[in-house]
Amino acid sequence: MHGHGRALVLSLRRNVEMHKYITRRILQFIPMLFLVTVLVFALAKAAPGDPLTGERLDPNIDPEVYEIRREALGLNDPLPVQYWNWLSSVATGDFGKSLQYTGRTVMELIQARIWNTFYLSLFALGVTLAIAIPIGIYSANRKYSLFDYGATTFAFLGLATPNFFAGLLAIYVFSLTLGWFPAQGTTTAMSLTGFELFIDKLRHLVLPGFTLGLASTAAYMRYMRTEILEVKGSDFIRTARAKGLSNESVLYKHTLRNALIPIITLLGLEFGTLLSGAIITERVFNYPGLGTLFLNAIQNRDYPVIMAINLILAVTILIGNLLADIFYAIVDPRIRYD
Amino acid sequence: MKSSKLWLVLVLALSFMLVLAACGDNNEEAGGNNDNNNEENNDNNNDSDSTERGTITAAMYSAPGHQFNPLFYSDAYEANILDFTHEALAKLDENLDWEPSLAESWDINDDFTEITFTLNEGVTWHDGEPFTADDVVFTYNVLMDEDYVAAGGVRTNYVADLETVEAIDPLTVKFTYTDTNINAIFDAAFIIVPEHIFGDVPILEMPDYSASRNAGEVIGTGPFQLTNMLEGERYELTAYDDYWQGAPGLAGITWRVIEQSIMPGLLENGEIDMIAEPNGVPAADFDTVDALEHITTYVTQDFGYQYMGFKLHHRTTEDVEAGVIDPDNWIENEKIADVRVRQAIVYAINRQALVDGLLHGMGTVLNANFPEASWAFDESAVNPYDYSPETAEELLDEAGYVDVTGDGFREDPDGNEWTLNFDYPTGNAVRERSAPIIVENLEEVGIRVDLRNPREAGPHFDLVEEDDHDWDMYLAGWSLSAADPDPSALWLSTAPYNYTRWNDPVSDELIRAGIQAPEAFDQDYRKQAYSDWAAHMSEQVPQVFLYSSDNIYAYNSAIQNVKHYPAGIYSDAHLWTLEQ
Repeated sequence: MHGHGRALVLSLRRNVEMHKYITRRILQFIPMLFLVTVLVFALAKAAPGDPLTGERLDPNIDPEVYEIRREALGLNDPLPVQYWNWLSSVATGDFGKSLQYTGRTVMELIQARIWNTFYLSLFALGVTLAIAIPIGIYSANRKYSLFDYGATTFAFLGLATPNFFAGLLAIYVFSLTLGWFPAQGTTTAMSLTGFELFIDKLRHLVLPGFTLGLASTAAYMRYMRTEILEVKGSDFIRTARAKGLSNESVLYKHTLRNALIPIITLLGLEFGTLLSGAIITERVFNYPGLGTLFLNAIQNRDYPVIMAINLILAVTILIGNLLADIFYAIVDPRIRYD
Repeated sequence: MKSSKLWLVLVLALSFMLVLAACGDNNEEAGGNNDNNNEENNDNNNDSDSTERGTITAAMYSAPGHQFNPLFYSDAYEANILDFTHEALAKLDENLDWEPSLAESWDINDDFTEITFTLNEGVTWHDGEPFTADDVVFTYNVLMDEDYVAAGGVRTNYVADLETVEAIDPLTVKFTYTDTNINAIFDAAFIIVPEHIFGDVPILEMPDYSASRNAGEVIGTGPFQLTNMLEGERYELTAYDDYWQGAPGLAGITWRVIEQSIMPGLLENGEIDMIAEPNGVPAADFDTVDALEHITTYVTQDFGYQYMGFKLHHRTTEDVEAGVIDPDNWIENEKIADVRVRQAIVYAINRQALVDGLLHGMGTVLNANFPEASWAFDESAVNPYDYSPETAEELLDEAGYVDVTGDGFREDPDGNEWTLNFDYPTGNAVRERSAPIIVENLEEVGIRVDLRNPREAGPHFDLVEEDDHDWDMYLAGWSLSAADPDPSALWLSTAPYNYTRWNDPVSDELIRAGIQAPEAFDQDYRKQAYSDWAAHMSEQVPQVFLYSSDNIYAYNSAIQNVKHYPAGIYSDAHLWTLEQ
């Protein structure tokens, strides 16, 4: 009885502490976000030139036109004023107008693409986990076997292969030569609907999704293998074995659960990595997502778009970290909240 | 065993992929059928006809910016759509002369201050409304409006000298200019937009207006209509069967955005049928594409060119800050003031080697700014400056630039160190690679060059313009359209784009002579004037013309009636048909 009450008090205290911890983490998130906006703005403005500089190729256009436009866009205002104008409109969810795409808002451009990037990232993440975890477990169990060496070789090849090269190779082999999957874009025909559209979109996801996913697969496979080997060597596993538990029970109930904890943290970080990795992959497969938009914006000095996407990236990574921390605190009772 | 379960999962996943791969084949057929159905639905005039007509897929390397209002569009990718959906009063023919388009004929008054167009009868907009002189007046009034630039428009050059545009009757429109206008047809050949769509829209809101942006709402008079699009990916043009020159021979043209590096593969397996503007087939891929049996290629000289400019004068800091272009305030750049030095530099650069090595031979060495297709081009007027390091050395010796210190580099005539500063931008890979080669060429004849670190294009071109600095030579390029050859905008000493700050009264006089009324109404007179000017410029060398690259177009040979014009292959697209 006494012991039970004590446990209850402890778990209550734990709960209170956890809430405090989560609240504190969220509060920390706010100044961090503010700092990010300053950085995003400063970095964008630190780059020389604006969208109206650059190669004025067409001598038919009166140079004065550019000066009038620059004034109209507020590019001649002092930087703090520009920052304040930008921040106050961002606070209301308005990222301003694109400089490159005459007459379009940044929000509109992002909305038209963000889902494509989301699907691609999700697919790639699925690919990563579906391949990395089983192979990681398997090669950890058969350390130094032929399979383990093979997986390790594959992992390093995957890590060493740049996305654009892997992408072009995939297009060449699976699209141009074998004709199994489409090479470019998100759909074959705009007239498709329902299930056909779903399958068509899925087929377009395969090559970019695998290209993007395989790069991180290599890393995750190695993490998984290392974590399992480390956990396997710990005292509680020896205890479990000493109790006479079966190999399988030790592996799946004790080893795997503990080995997965660091993977969760990594996953929180992974979304940011996926989004930035998608920039190159999307370009190669001409998959119209945030990545292609971002590259285009950089090439054309479209600051409102660059800043908006940077902010989205930063916020995604911050939220990913936050979630990982919170989740970690929940699954691993050993974590202390201070 | 657990491990066998793992394998099972892997095998299942793999088979899922294979099913997905396999089911695509059916799907593509299904998609194709759907396409046809759609076209039949869109096309309520003649169902049996539309099933016989084919659809082609054209490709470009970047997505249009989705501004489909000709008044405000800004990129070559949007132009790829607008070239098929919209028209102007006149267009360029295969000799770069003006031929009628929306206008059936025109008449210019004796002192070249008025041009009166008679419009074709029976021209209708995509929504069926008739095209009239009011649409022309409306379009030009927008260009002249003070809000036009504030709204984001840049094409004020079409109305620089325009006084009024008036509709005499529904099929007659008269342009009146403030002064003699040699380029009246060019100035009147801006793409016309419909008044009945945009008439009530405030100009400042026009770029945002749905008819400027949305597929199905973009209305022109052209043979095709933008009916459907998937942002960043796919733009579907459908034949406009009431087109005034007859129903188009194709049911539609689908534009796809693709990655450049896999273009040859997609052409080969038939996924795309055409690659044209703006970058066409890269020179490095020309042999691969040209070898494809079912592909026709067409190579033509680009009107733009790359050059190495001399900073003959620098502006003062005050003038740069105030944005003033006043040749009287300029400071002469002594280092390259001697014309023999500049001539020597052209002789010293192996320009043909740049074309052969960097452009895979797909380009032309230039000696004047007129493309070969232009009537102003006169090969005999200019010095070809064939590569000759010996001539270069002779000229330098003669000018007194000799090596007195024995370090292998020439000193100036006073015996002081003589180093030419050379700045170049990143961005254009061929141009970037040409810079160190040029330096090597110059060092071979004993000219010491300080090749600066390349800058990004933006800052580089800012500095080309804001030239209160120590530059002597720089790399740059012009992208020019096939309009009138009048060089005023780039070459008059007072022109803002006269980046070399060349201040030469003879040149100014010859340029003005080319547009001098009434003599300039005669093309032979103008041809002679431009030959004279080119000869003078060729001797004075205000800049080194490097090369113009080739535009390489490729399309499926099954597409019939494609016209190979110097300005491109989109002319008369309503005549294109697909051989079955």
